[in-house]
Formats: sequence, C-alpha cells, structure tokens
Amino acid sequence: MVGNGELQRTVLMATCVKHIFKLKMELQCHIKEHLTMYRHFFLWRAKKTINKIKRQPAAKLLQSCPTLCEPIDGSPKGSPIPGILQEALDPPLDDLEVNETTTAAEVIKYEYHVLYSCSYQVPVLYFRASFLDGRPLALKDIWEGVHECYKMRLLQGPWDTITQQEHPILGQPFFVLHPCKTSEFMTPVLKNSQKINRNVNYITSWLSMVGPAVGLNLPLSYATAASQDEGNVDGQDSSIERKSLEEH
Amino acid sequence: MTDDKDVLRDVWFGRIPTCFTLYQDEITEREAEPYYLLLPRVSYLTLVTDKVKKHFQKVMRQEDISEIWFEYEGTPLKWHYPIGLLFDLLASSSALPWNITVHFKSFPEKDLLHCPSKDVIEAHFMSCVKEADALKHKSQVINEMQKKDHKQLWMGLQNDRFDQFWAINRKLMEYPAEENGFRYIPFRIYQTTTERPFIQKLFRPVSTDGQLHTLGDLLKEVCPSAVAPEVPMPEVCSWLPTWLLASSAEGSHLPSLWRDWEEDGPRLSQQGAENRRNQSPGTETRLLHREKSA
Repeated sequence: MVGNGELQRTVLMATCVKHIFKLKMELQCHIKEHLTMYRHFFLWRAKKTINKIKRQPAAKLLQSCPTLCEPIDGSPKGSPIPGILQEALDPPLDDLEVNETTTAAEVIKYEYHVLYSCSYQVPVLYFRASFLDGRPLALKDIWEGVHECYKMRLLQGPWDTITQQEHPILGQPFFVLHPCKTSEFMTPVLKNSQKINRNVNYITSWLSMVGPAVGLNLPLSYATAASQDEGNVDGQDSSIERKSLEEH
Repeated sequence: MTDDKDVLRDVWFGRIPTCFTLYQDEITEREAEPYYLLLPRVSYLTLVTDKVKKHFQKVMRQEDISEIWFEYEGTPLKWHYPIGLLFDLLASSSALPWNITVHFKSFPEKDLLHCPSKDVIEAHFMSCVKEADALKHKSQVINEMQKKDHKQLWMGLQNDRFDQFWAINRKLMEYPAEENGFRYIPFRIYQTTTERPFIQKLFRPVSTDGQLHTLGDLLKEVCPSAVAPEVPMPEVCSWLPTWLLASSAEGSHLPSLWRDWEEDGPRLSQQGAENRRNQSPGTETRLLHREKSA
C-alpha cells in the first residue's frame, strides 16, 4: 500500500453554510453533535488505474493522496480556514507502485463527495468516474467494477444500492451509494466503541466500510492517525481500533 | 382525507398539452411531423413518451438513433423531475401547447441522468417515496409494506390508475391519532433563479408550542426571499402532503407550491393573484395553476 507521509497530514475540511469545522484526523466527529445540524462537504480526487482488459476492479491503486479542494457548498472563497490545502499536484510516478500490466490499461478518474442527508441523518457517498478524455463511465460499468466481495450484495438489489442521481448541490449527475442501510450498520460500531470507552471518528469508520465497494480504499493510516491523536498512544488501544475497522 | 378525494383526483389527472418536434439537425429519411400529446403532470417524461419515440424513429435510420432526450428552449429537460414541475419551472408563462424538442444524439452527459429502461424510472420513483417516508414515519410504513405493495404503487403511476395508486399511498399519508402529523414534512422548493437545484430542509408540521404550521410558516422559514409579506395561508402544513404533494405522485416530494383555489373563496384567490403581482423580480416561485377539467 502506498505509505505516503502526506496521508498523515491530510486535513479533511468540512464547511457548511453557517460554520466552518476543521476535522483533522485527531478530532472526533460525533454525528449527533455536528452532522445533524450542518452539512459537510468533502472532496477527494483520486486517480485509479483499472486494468480494463482483465476487469479487475481492485487493481493496484496508483492513488494520489486524498487532497483537498476548495469547499463547494457556497461558503465564501477565502474563508479563514487555517491550513487548507490547495489542489495538490499528483506525486511523481516513481513514488508509487506501478504494475507492468498498467501500461496497457486505461486510467479512470474518480471524484468522491461526502454529503449529509437530512432525511436519513447519515452521510452519503456520491461519486463520478470518467476516462481521462472526459468520457464518463456508465452505471453498468460501475456495477461491473464493484469488487467481488461486494458483488453478491449488489446483485441482490442493484437498484437499491448504486444508482445515478442528481447531486443536490451541483445539480449534475453522480453515482450514489444508497444511504438507507447506513444507520443499520453504523449503530453497532458506535455501540461497541461506547462499551470499550473509545471515541469513534464516524466519518472514518463509515467511509472505511462503504468506500471500498466503490473503489475508495481508505488507507489504514487514517485510523491510526485518529487513534494516536486521541491521546491513546498505547499500542494495545490502537490495535483494538484497527481490529474493529478490519472486521468490517 | 375523503373530502379531499376530488382534489386528489384533480391533481392526479392534471394534463399539459405538449407539441414534440424533432431537432432540426437530426438525420431523417423524410420530413418528421410534430407529435401532440397530453402529458400527465404527476408522471415522468421518459415514462410517457414511448409513442413520441416511435413516431420519430419511423423516419430515422437505426444507426442515427441513440438515447432519446428532450429540451425546451435550449435547456435539457431533467426527466427525473415530475412533468408538472418542469412545466411550471420553465414554461408556465408561455402560451400552450408546450413546445418540446426531441433529440436522439449528443446526449448531454453533464446535465441529464441516463434512462436506458423503465427500471431506472421505477428505482428513482421508489427512492423518492422511501426518502419521503423516512421523513414522515422514520421509514416504518414503507418498510412494513410488502414488495407487491411497492410494485402496486409503481404500476399505479405507470398505468395511470388513480385507485390502484391511492390504495397503497393512503397508508403513507396516515399518521397515528396521538400525533398531530408527520414527523417532518417532506418537501422541496424549486426556483429558476438559484444555482442549487432545490431547497430541502427538515420542517416539523407542529411548532414547539403545539400550533399547526401553515404553508406560509414553511416558506418564511425555508425560503424567505420568495414570500410576499402579509400572506394569509390558512391551509395547515400537515395537509400539504395530502393535496399538493400528491401533485407529484411521489406522494410527498412536492414540486412548486401554491394553488389558486378559486372555489375556496374570493379572498384566497385574490390573495393568490396579489402574490403573483408582489413577487420581487428574480425570485419567481412557481405557482401551480389549477387545471381546468377538460
């Protein structure tokens, strides 16, 4: 996996209409306190090379670090958000793993957005994908690209899982991972963490579960960075967090 | 609810006379005549235009045909919006019939969702119904229904069967006697003047001191720029889902609001006319005019 030091320093910024939150990996994100009141908006740009011929969706990830783009929810440009990263250039290729087969492959650009649904009161993952020449991927390409271990679930009800919808802020077509089951699978995570008296970064946990189904693999360093900053430097505690995330 | 049956029927059977013309740059083997159709307000473009498609494809070669899409005065029409909403938003101030241009090439990927089959429309419709029920009943009612009930809801819309549709939809419109209404009112406000496609927020039907909210309260809170001052809105907000929301068969995602209830008394309709005059320029909240029965 790419062990880029940049990842640790990536700052997730969330802006909403009224307030500006700074969600560093060490901050806790308690969904009741924050997300029920405000909308959050994240933007990752990740380049992913898919071996188109073999149709291997979990191909080597030539992933640039999730970089931060300017928030696009209408908050004024130049808002005093300390440390906001400008859109970073892709790291040079020799820093990343390269698979020989990728030389013949097509590069697909994915763009992920995390929005908040006030109807379901959970975060929702929106994304779009296109080839470098701008040709967008179709829904059936996305379905086909879902990793094998999630395929069963998808085939049970593809129309309930990933569909094309209008982005509620941008008004453009995006693919969406349906949120109706989110609170169902997040509740045990939150309950368990309460039992062992640990704080959970809701977004990290949620994203680590839903992201991989649609090509967004959250590096483990997000989780370890979060647990370190909580002051639990104890190795044992970090491994509990790591374990509970791995189980999903 | 039974008193409102007439209103529900009027909303359901609302129609917009439309003229479909083939885009001039489409390649045809002979001249294509325009096609006239009465479009149901509560339905979706791609659900009700099979005949339109067939009509134009008769004069075209197979290789020149790809996914159909519609446009009005240069604006691609979002098929996933109810037809009545599209008309109110874009064409209500123009003379009838509504003139829509039909395209078979250069699908605008950045603007429109794809609609390769009826399954897509069904999925979209059902997800709207589910989201509305999440707001009204925490999804309890919709989740307790069987798959065949969901199917009946969809078939009712697809086949224009009012009774079949409302047999199921009435369950989604009920709330327990001890409550004063739904948990939240499902609504969306569409305006032509904003960048954001629509406004959707949480809004309770009852205020903290037990007063029933009105439509005016909702608009004041959610969309203050669009409301003229001194607007009497006696219709209680909890009735919104029953009438107006029914106007977009999704049961509760409400396109534009306000009706001219002429029969409800001169005062209301007078006020309605005043509202229209008092609209500050640039915030045209669309008025949904009562369809005269054919």
